[in-house]
Amino acid sequence: MNYTVQEPLQQTYDAVVVGSGATGGWAAKQLAEAGLKVALLEAGRAVSPKEFTEHMPGYKLKYRDHSPEVVRTRPIQKQCYACMEYNYEWFVNDLENPYSTPAGKPFTWQRLRVLGGRSLVWGRQSYRLSDNDFKAASRDGYGDDWPISYADLAPYYDIVERYVGISGAAEGNEMLPDGQFLPPMKMSCGEIQLRQRVKAQFGHTVTIGRTAILTQNHNGRAACHYCGPCERGCSTFSYFSSPFTTVKDAMASGNCTLITNAVVSHVNMDDGANTARGVTYVDRLTRQVKEVRAKTVILCAQALESTRILLNSSTREYPNGLANSSGALGRYLMDHVTGGGATGHLPDFKTLPDANEPQRPNGIYVPRFRNTPSSGKHSRFLRGYGFQGGADAEFNFSVEGYGVTLKKAVKQGIYGIGLGAFGESLARWDNYCEIDRDLKDAWGIPALRISMTHGDNEAALMDDAGATAAEMLEAAGAKDIKMQAKVEMPGMAIHELGTARMGNDPKKSVLNAFNQAHDVKNMFVMDGASFVSSACQNPTLTMMAVTVRACANLIDRFHKSEI
Amino acid sequence: MKRRELIRTGFLAGAAVALRPPAGKAQNAAQSSELTLAQSGVDASKDLAAPGWKPLFLDEHQNETLIVLSDLMIPATDTPGAKEALVNRYIDLVLAAETPETQRAFLNSLGYLDGESMRRFKAAFRYLSREDQDILLHALAYVVNESRWTGEANAKPDVGHVHFEALKQRIMTAYYSSQIGEKELGWDGAFAHGPYAGCDHPEGNHK
Repeated sequence: MNYTVQEPLQQTYDAVVVGSGATGGWAAKQLAEAGLKVALLEAGRAVSPKEFTEHMPGYKLKYRDHSPEVVRTRPIQKQCYACMEYNYEWFVNDLENPYSTPAGKPFTWQRLRVLGGRSLVWGRQSYRLSDNDFKAASRDGYGDDWPISYADLAPYYDIVERYVGISGAAEGNEMLPDGQFLPPMKMSCGEIQLRQRVKAQFGHTVTIGRTAILTQNHNGRAACHYCGPCERGCSTFSYFSSPFTTVKDAMASGNCTLITNAVVSHVNMDDGANTARGVTYVDRLTRQVKEVRAKTVILCAQALESTRILLNSSTREYPNGLANSSGALGRYLMDHVTGGGATGHLPDFKTLPDANEPQRPNGIYVPRFRNTPSSGKHSRFLRGYGFQGGADAEFNFSVEGYGVTLKKAVKQGIYGIGLGAFGESLARWDNYCEIDRDLKDAWGIPALRISMTHGDNEAALMDDAGATAAEMLEAAGAKDIKMQAKVEMPGMAIHELGTARMGNDPKKSVLNAFNQAHDVKNMFVMDGASFVSSACQNPTLTMMAVTVRACANLIDRFHKSEI
Repeated sequence: MKRRELIRTGFLAGAAVALRPPAGKAQNAAQSSELTLAQSGVDASKDLAAPGWKPLFLDEHQNETLIVLSDLMIPATDTPGAKEALVNRYIDLVLAAETPETQRAFLNSLGYLDGESMRRFKAAFRYLSREDQDILLHALAYVVNESRWTGEANAKPDVGHVHFEALKQRIMTAYYSSQIGEKELGWDGAFAHGPYAGCDHPEGNHK
């Protein structure tokens, strides 16, 4: 579908939503369907299914994914596996979108500016958090509890899952609540052996990944056809991305005006009143500056981008960033720690990989098993990690030798198995972002300086993850096990969270339990910025559920004229 | 994860994602500076076979050496080899766009091969008999990487083996990412073979 881009009207909208990704799409849908007049702003262009490339073989690419243009314009973005010669124009041009980091503290920030944002290329893994996460601080003394509990969010997880379509298997695991699942994808022989042996030897659960990919036709979208590379688009819309679901619904309501190429610079405040008036944006192409007026302002721009907008919206009343009387704005930046895990191969399994086997765009998942109610407290670290991984016959491109033997050995293949951890990133005051006064993006908007390191706890998590992954693979019968226990650069998980966190105490948090700014009552941040802790589960499902919950509250109070 | 490992590895770097480039007709999206060539439906698979092809980066000797070497690394059998897949042309294209450091490293490896060839056989690699080429490559390919006396692993990997593997990886990447390479791996050219059936063996017996 191609959207007709409309000029902003000379009207005051009920709500302006900044960002059209996973959360912005939901906010636009919920508010517009409730009858609010919504302006949905997206910094990038519209997207069309005509530009999907999931069915284009790699040999048709000029450089077969080694394009110098990607290297030149996306040196940071290409650190993400999903940024390829196929689709790199969806990712931001690093030359136009700078940010800085202090010496010795690298941070990789991977972003898309196109309708749908990162929902076009996301990893799709979808897991609920539990009260072991929401109330972790009460249980182990570190940090702060969320102002919401699992019971508060569960009904909204249900709504999101039923709409999005999450395939998965119910496991009754204490750390990973079950949800509204479509039938699970199947596991391979090696994965089933791992599941059985790990349960028998360690008591831990190995389950099929819970993924936002349809295993049956659902809500007008077709079941997955197992072609594999979702991050290049999906001609059957089988994985969830906002342009073809939530944004489409918002537009169909007749109450949503989509404005693409709107690079929002800041929130405007009413003169002499403590209320937001709307936002100012720079047209991405013409550089014309425009203002959108709205009764409520909702930032869904991605954690760091939403916070950047607020930091760039300082006023006399809020000299350190809008709605920042607490000083917490920009603080407690988190990103899941990665780098711990293990790989090996299962010599007892049939290799001979089949190039025509269906490509399952999903792996397996091991829910957190450290510092759980049943495991008790670990002596060396707080919180825990989950594993993602998989096992299957693969072509063997690391064979010895050359010639005829090489050609045969590649096809003979190897039965590979691997697990990689995503660990909780503790919320720390000294992991933060601020405005770099010396750096502006291509639209003249001050850029961020991001200062984040993973600490001792994250290193201890990855150390343990390497050891436990190796143990699990060994239990499954793996040989040539290679353990990895390093700490990857922050940002690599692409799960940036925090910087405008929720809380009940306005002195310690930016938002209340409904994502409403404590300081400015008609302003909301509905994305990962609101997270109080990172947990270790992939965060998008929770971000969407939090958004839908916040919208329900906003709609209710809007209709009661409280906002 | 089947055929793309060579192009892009990253199993532990993120979610486990099955990568495979399936076939399909080129999409006819409008040309736009904001679309990639692929998103615009451009098919570049015939570019390297264009008549009058000339190397962009390699000189004639280097190009000829690469053809000979790639043909030894991945020879034609009952299926075409690296030479038919125009592996040299792809490597030349990629190298031409590479950083000077990477370009230098490649030429260094290729030069090492000629250096060893001159030292042992008094002629550049591409002029050797097939038998001598094999003797030379075999020595580089299968290195005993530990001390013959103590059995301890050498602190430093064998330089010749490192150069050999660097050249081999380039050639394998070029070959298996080509259309010939995809066929070699048995791909039928269709993009959908679903749904994924998974394991249906009885418990504990996956033979």
